[in-house]
Amino acid sequence: MVKINVIEKIIARHADKKSVEVGDELSVNVDLAIAHDVTGPLAIEQFKKIGVGKVFDSEKVVFVSDHNIPCSSVNSRVQHKSLEDFSKDFNVKYYGRSEGVIHQLIMEENLYKKGDIIVGADSHTCTAGAFGAVAIGVGSTELAAVMALGKIDIEVPPVKVIKIEGNLNDNVYGKDIILHIIGKFGTNGFTDTGVVLTGESIINLSQDDKMTISNMMIEMGAMIGYIDQGGEIGEVEENYIIKAEDIVPCVACPPSPGNVKPITEVEGTAINQAVLGSCTNGRYSDMATAAEVIKGKKIAEGVNFIVVPSSKRVAEKMDETGITKIFRDAGAIVTNPGCGPCFGAHQGLLNYDDVAVSSTNRNFPGRMGHKEAKIYLASPRIVAESAVLGKLSSPGKVI
Amino acid sequence: MDEIKGKGFYLGDDIDTDQILPGYAMSYPPEDLKKVALKGSEITDFAEKVEDGDIIFAKDNFGCGSSREQAPLALKSTGIGAVVAKSFARIFRKNAINIGLPVITSKDLDKIIKESEENDKFKLNIKEGLIINIRTKKEYLAEKLADTTYETLEAGGLINKVRKILINRGEINE
Repeated sequence: MVKINVIEKIIARHADKKSVEVGDELSVNVDLAIAHDVTGPLAIEQFKKIGVGKVFDSEKVVFVSDHNIPCSSVNSRVQHKSLEDFSKDFNVKYYGRSEGVIHQLIMEENLYKKGDIIVGADSHTCTAGAFGAVAIGVGSTELAAVMALGKIDIEVPPVKVIKIEGNLNDNVYGKDIILHIIGKFGTNGFTDTGVVLTGESIINLSQDDKMTISNMMIEMGAMIGYIDQGGEIGEVEENYIIKAEDIVPCVACPPSPGNVKPITEVEGTAINQAVLGSCTNGRYSDMATAAEVIKGKKIAEGVNFIVVPSSKRVAEKMDETGITKIFRDAGAIVTNPGCGPCFGAHQGLLNYDDVAVSSTNRNFPGRMGHKEAKIYLASPRIVAESAVLGKLSSPGKVI
Repeated sequence: MDEIKGKGFYLGDDIDTDQILPGYAMSYPPEDLKKVALKGSEITDFAEKVEDGDIIFAKDNFGCGSSREQAPLALKSTGIGAVVAKSFARIFRKNAINIGLPVITSKDLDKIIKESEENDKFKLNIKEGLIINIRTKKEYLAEKLADTTYETLEAGGLINKVRKILINRGEINE
């Protein structure tokens, strides 16, 4: 019997230990430290206060400008400049030309590796759990400490396993799976916990769907989100079983990602904005799913459909296969790669009486503009169907 | 740091970082963060009303959402003494401690909010884990901080702690 579980094994190896216990306070080695244009500059400021002349390993620190790109204000230009200057002075990698959302780009650069410990100054760093990494989201000061020491102090978390049993229903995507889970366990269901998702149907999902799922583990408060890589999980604190047949196409209704309902319950709700993109659902497969719905159709009157490819590579492939043209012909606004309007700073903010359906990850009050605006989170399929019909719509209404 | 005194502000569950500090304000220079603190919450005029030492009382999952450290920084820059909540989201809790803002959990939160009125003043002793409503003289329990957390707060935040490590190693000067 394996006593140590898969997350503990990775943590133990990075602390040069054979075994660890839940609650142990450890200083562990970090394989990669990442930040973007709204968390990186503050990390740099804090790093400079430490007074150390170099980062722990210049190959293992990466900055990406993705939140405000191109710069949405003079202040955001100051932030980009800080990353540019630091990357030159300290010889670290910086992506500042709209190469993509940090988690998508780092994946494409093959820097999310199985068994690694990754620390990112972004809550969605847990996306890397799709690749079997232990990935921890932190704030800027904690990242500054990692940049200096190459280590992070963590406690060994209790690990809980969610197993999806049986075969998934038609028109159920990675987004529906994770929304179903968040709806069941709530926005603080796994605070300070390591969550492992397993089951045949999960292991067999596409890499893109796995990324969507691990990406939103933070919406349940998880410290670590991890997708079973098909190996031994080991002994864990608690097991939950969810029947795949119970998972249906669903949406997270305002005002929280935990307020999840089957799409059939809110079908017909009028919308005037649809957003396709983000580190959650802005990959090529998401674009292809939506394009299939939209091909030859028009976006409903009065609806802004904003499409934000999650990386330059995604955008290039969309151009090559004609998907960009399908969207533009239908009346969509296709932007440059980046975070887009997801975090409420630019590229499509909402007024108080606006209602949006979005493939992004959060719908708290004010997330995308006015705090009274309503945001429904959904799969790219539902976003596309709703954009064509001008109201929340189940998969299958358009095609 | 141990004894904090000020009036209470009361909030509910799931006060996420967008409500504490809106996304567009993440690019603001540090001195401008104060004026948007809690702008997205029910207390839209928090920045005008807050005084040094005031305490925010909130329910479950305070600080959930994004990892933006500008959220606890904005609160700290208003001069508040502490945030007391039923529970905190992990990254927010860590960020607050790392910048030297006390965040304390209390199981008595529902009682505190129910038995208090607007502008009531409180005394909070972090070391003893005790909260007192000065008007009603009622006492409530707060959970004591873990030793390592307390050390970080006492050092004035994580950066000072890291400096100590590097000074001991002889890698930086005092």
